[in-house]
Formats: sequence, structure tokens, C-alpha cells
Amino acid sequence: MAKLADSVQVNAIPSARKRALRRTNVIGWLFASPWAIGLLCFYAIPMLMSIYFSFTTYSILQPGEFVGMNNYRDLFHDPLFWKSIYNTIYFTVFFVPLSIFFGVALAMMLNMKVKGMAVFRTIFFLPTLVPQVALAVLWMWLLHPNFGLVNGMLANIGIDGPSWLGGESWSKPSLILMSLWGIGQAVVIYLAGLGDIPDEYYEAAQIDGANWFQKTRKVTLPLLTPVIFYNLVMGMIGAFQQFTLPYTLTKGQGTPANSMTFYVMYLYENGFRYFKMGYASAMAWILFIIVMALTGIIFITSKRWVHYQGK
Amino acid sequence: MRRSKKFAFPILVYFLVMLLLVTACSTKGDSSDEAGEGITTVTMWHGLTSIDLDNMNKVVKAFEEKNPTIKMKLVYTESSEGSDQKLLTAVAGGNPPDVALFDRFKVGTWAAQGSLTDLSSMAAESGIRKEMYYPFAWEESSYQGKLYAMPMDTDSRLLFYNKDHFKEVGLDPNKPPQTIAELEAAADKLTIKEGKRFKRIGFIPWYSQGWLYTWGWAFGGEFQDAATGKITANDPKVVEALQWMTDFGKKYNVEDIAGFTSAAGTEEMDPFISGQVSMKISGNFTVKGIEKFKPDLNYGVAPIPTPTGTNFTTWSGGGSAIIPKGAKNVASAWKFLEFLGKEEGQTLLNADSQISVIDSVNDKYGYKDDPIMKEFINILPNSHNRPVIPEGQLLWNELASATEKATRGNGTPKENLDRVTETVNKALEKYDK
Repeated sequence: MAKLADSVQVNAIPSARKRALRRTNVIGWLFASPWAIGLLCFYAIPMLMSIYFSFTTYSILQPGEFVGMNNYRDLFHDPLFWKSIYNTIYFTVFFVPLSIFFGVALAMMLNMKVKGMAVFRTIFFLPTLVPQVALAVLWMWLLHPNFGLVNGMLANIGIDGPSWLGGESWSKPSLILMSLWGIGQAVVIYLAGLGDIPDEYYEAAQIDGANWFQKTRKVTLPLLTPVIFYNLVMGMIGAFQQFTLPYTLTKGQGTPANSMTFYVMYLYENGFRYFKMGYASAMAWILFIIVMALTGIIFITSKRWVHYQGK
Repeated sequence: MRRSKKFAFPILVYFLVMLLLVTACSTKGDSSDEAGEGITTVTMWHGLTSIDLDNMNKVVKAFEEKNPTIKMKLVYTESSEGSDQKLLTAVAGGNPPDVALFDRFKVGTWAAQGSLTDLSSMAAESGIRKEMYYPFAWEESSYQGKLYAMPMDTDSRLLFYNKDHFKEVGLDPNKPPQTIAELEAAADKLTIKEGKRFKRIGFIPWYSQGWLYTWGWAFGGEFQDAATGKITANDPKVVEALQWMTDFGKKYNVEDIAGFTSAAGTEEMDPFISGQVSMKISGNFTVKGIEKFKPDLNYGVAPIPTPTGTNFTTWSGGGSAIIPKGAKNVASAWKFLEFLGKEEGQTLLNADSQISVIDSVNDKYGYKDDPIMKEFINILPNSHNRPVIPEGQLLWNELASATEKATRGNGTPKENLDRVTETVNKALEKYDK
């Protein structure tokens, strides 16, 4: 739409200006071209090729032959494929809402006008700077069932802690717990969103006699929805691509009992350990379609719950 | 005029930037024959550090002195996953190094993909013969009767036991368990459990190097049919081994044990070193770790117990050097591999670090006088190697997953191993064309 409007305008401009405009356009494109060429070479072309590969037995080292829908058909009969989808959805369903809840709550706390707030903000942001691999090793210590800090503290209040990463029932909740550690990134965005809400709204609410709870429900949250929407979409995409933490924790094995085999981990396994790049490509496209569909659904429903200021 | 100047400057900048990008991206800069007339530069990718790298440098120096027309260029590529991908991309892109250090475990897979240079005829000419090496080392370097890699070093697996713990509970510290029954009895005595929590575990069959390979062979099973090449993970003896592991897990409650094994990632966290586990199956590669983190640990090593207390066995893996398909200087690269594989190279390469694949070299090191290392060397003639098949990684993962499922009561050992056998043999079918 915007493009059309531009060209209409350009036509209305005298020809000397038109030439100048075109020239700046050319220069602009020239400057953008290294990036554009890079995008084309390293994203667009490989993506298109991977569609083709998903119909072949391509192994990286050998071209492979065309096998039609075989890879997709095999995937539907692959129990580990389903298990990895289940694990990934389980993680996403719990992690994303929790991260939004805690993210918003934390941001609201960090938005209070208290002395030394910068220190608290720093403290909550710091964990996101720790590399995922280091984070994994740290949590392995903390969650050690017999000698770890977490169970030690639980024992002090008389709770017999679970074996965390050792058992199927607790491995994914443990991972969700660890991932919440990296919430600081989202909190920064929420904070920016909170800062954007004009004080007048609160003042008006104050005059109307609204209490803190009402102000939060009627002013803060609705006006924060664009930011929540953004974090929801990005969080979901990120959750579907969960890789580094579980890969490090389980040394790539997805233990215990494949309860930590996430979709992208299994994709990686197929592509680079089993040399089934065709199969992995098919997996990648299924993931793409799932994520696209879910993002689409969120976008459609967003019209009902996302409020932009001035609209 | 002024206008075109305005236009010229951005264009200039543009070309400069592009030029920079192009030169930054090109790898042609370090071509292989830069060293001048008549000298060939052989590029080798490796992931060696500390003593292993020092040793390799000694090998290179000795080699270059003997072969003045060849110059070795060592390029560090990080070990494991990262280097795999790098090599993979290089081979696929037709620009591989001349030599790469390589886990022998992967030889079958890469050879089946046609990505390794067949070394058989060059080996025959150079007098590199099967009889020079431990049988498993040669076996694992070959695929379908052809040599694809030069074996470099090896390892073996044994039972480690804490002598102080043995004394403490009244076991003879000089008489480690030999049969499975003795092992169970000792484990029982050594374990201290308070409620659900272990203060100490006597033994965990699947911990550390206690893979199903380890126990399957200890119970006398075979994972591959020598005649047909078919995988036999459901060999009755292997099933028996997994059944024993499962029963062991049931007795102590798997979930309770799991904590010990899940968090035990690095050497500092090794529960055997910290005294939380009294016995474990592990390899010679952990001996250095014990020396480093707890030099006064009073421990011994012994052959892995078997049901009968005889026919002790183990299995070995290790490193090798390969020439990728598409390498530019194959003849010179082979010269280096030959040097690496013969006694002189082997002696320099593994000094004070690894076990050599040549028995007489290990004699030279005095390993046979060392109470710990002696055991690792003595078992080698009876050592196995994992089946060399294109789907070695799949078989490994399937066995690990079957072990986990069975010990956690997710299907019987037989059911799980039947499934492994079927899955892997089905995956192997496509190579039988």
C-alpha cells in the first residue's frame, strides 16, 4: 500500500526533483545491497533449497535422490518426532505464559519510583548476559538432588525435593524454571512499554477514585498489550526453537527417556549426526508451518485484545 | 559537475565496502603451495590442546626433518560437534584440509558417504599392516575391508573401586569383585541409604562408561553378526545383560539413583572422586582427572566383572587421522599418516598421555609397570570395537535409549532391544544396494 502511495506522489513531482529522488533511491539501494545480497545468498536461497531437499535423501556429502513425500510420511511414523513435538509444545505452553506473567509483574515492580532502582534493574538483567552453556552447568549444580542448593533449602523447611533433572516428571519443569532465569530481556521491553503510558491516565483514574488494582487492570495492562503481544510472539518463536539449554544439560541425548528431546535438537541430530539432511529439512518446514500458523492465530486474535494508544 | 561529485563519493565508498567484504569472505588467501618451489604444505585440522598438542608438534618436527619437501600446517578446529560440522561443510564444498584428526567411531559413516580417501593401497605399499596394531584399532579404521583411517591412540574400560571404602565395610581391598554376583554383594555392602536419599552408592551399572556395549560384551553377547553384518542388539546375552541392569535399578530405585548420574558432568563433579560412589566403570582417560583433582584417592582398577568371573573383556575407541575426499595433496598427506602410524610417530604422539595402538610402544612407556595403567594395557588384546556401520551413531543412540527405557520400566529389555535391532537394520538396508 505504502509503495503505491509513494509512486503516485512521485508522479506528481516535477521531473528534476524526480531524477534527484531516483538518484537517492539508487544510492540507498547501493548502500543496502551488501545486506540485501547477504540475505538473498545466505537466507533466501538456502531456504528455497531446503524445500527441495526435504523431498530428497540429501546427506550433505551426497546429493541424494528425489523421494517425493517420503520424508514427510516417515516423520509421521517416527515416535521420536511426535515425542519432540510434545516436549516442545509442553515447554511452550507453560513457559510463554509464565514468562509473560513474571515479566510483567517484575517490570511493574521495577517501575516503582524507589531509590536505587537502577541497581535492582541491573540485578534482574544480569542473568541474561550469562551464556546458556554456563547457565546449564550452574543449574546442574543447583538442582543436584542430593547435594544441590535448591533441595538443601527445601529440606530446611521439611520438603523432600524431587530428583529434578533425573526424572521424566520433573525434567521439563526444571527446564522451564531455568529458562525463566533469562527473563530480564523481556523485562527491559516491558519497562519501556510502561514508561510510554502517559501519567495523565493515572491522574484521571486517581481523580475517579481508582485503587491500585483498578489502575493496573484498567490502565496499565490494556496499554501494555502491544508490548505483551510482541513478547508473546517472540517468546513463542523462541520457545519452539529451544536448543542450547537442554542440549548442554543432556549432552545432546535428551535424557531422561527423551523427555528433553526438543524439536530443534532432534532436527540437529538428524541433520548433522545421522546425515539425514533431507529428513531434517522436512522437519524444519513442518516447524516453519506450525510457527507460522500459531503466529497467524495470535495476530488474528490480537485485534480483540491489543489496544494501541489513540485508537 | 558538482552533482556527479556528490554521486561519486558514495559509489566509491560502496565499492570499498564490497571489496572489503569480498576479501574478508575469501579463503583462497592461504593456498597450499605458498612455501615456495618444490615444497608441499599439508594442512591438518585438529582439536588438540595441552600435552597432546605438544606431542603432535614433536611428531611434526621429526616428520619435517625426515621429509624436507613437506611442510605441515596445523589448524586448530574445536573438538567434537563444531569440528564435525566444519569438516562436513569443507568436504561438501570441495575444499577440505589434507588431513583431519577424526574419531574412529565415525569412520564407518563417513566412508559409506564416500567422503574419505581409501588408504588401502598406499598402506600396502608403505608396509603398514594389520598385524602392527591391536585388532580392534585396525577393524575400527576400516570399512568393508578397506582402510580409511590411520589409528592414533586408544582406550579401554575397567572397574574402578575405592579401596578405603572396601576396608571400611570389611571387603578385601586387594580382591575386587570378579563375578556379577560378587559385584552385587559388594555394591550392597558399600551403599549407604537414608530414607530416599543415598549418602553413598556402591555401584551404578550404567553410570560413566557402563554402556550397554560394556555389559553386553561382558555377558558374552555380540552386537553384530560377523557373517551377515546385521545388527544383533537382541542377542540373548545382551538381553540378559540389560535384564541384570534393570533388576539392579529396581533394587535401588532408578529415580533415586538418577540424581547421582544427571548432575555428574565434569571431573570436578565426579561422584567417584568425591567418594559418593564406591565403584564405577570408567576408562583410562579419567586417571589423569583423579591425579589432578584428588591425587591421594586410594583406588584400584580391575577387569569388568562377568557372570562367570572369567573371559574378561572391554571395548575401545580412540582417535585417527584421515584424508578427506577432495584433499589436494594426498601423496604428501599419506607420508605424514604413515609416519604417524609407525612406531616412531606413535612413540612421540602418545608419550605420557594416551595409550598407543601399537603394543610394543606401550611397553616402551613402562605402562606395564604402572599398577593402574598395566590393567588397561593387559585387557587390550581382548578388547572389542563397536560395529563399523554407516549408522553407528544411530545404533549408539538407540542402545542408550533402550537402556534408559528398560531400566526405568518402560518396556522389557527384550522388547526394547528387538526394537533397536529392527530400527537399525532397517536403516542399514539403504546401503545394501
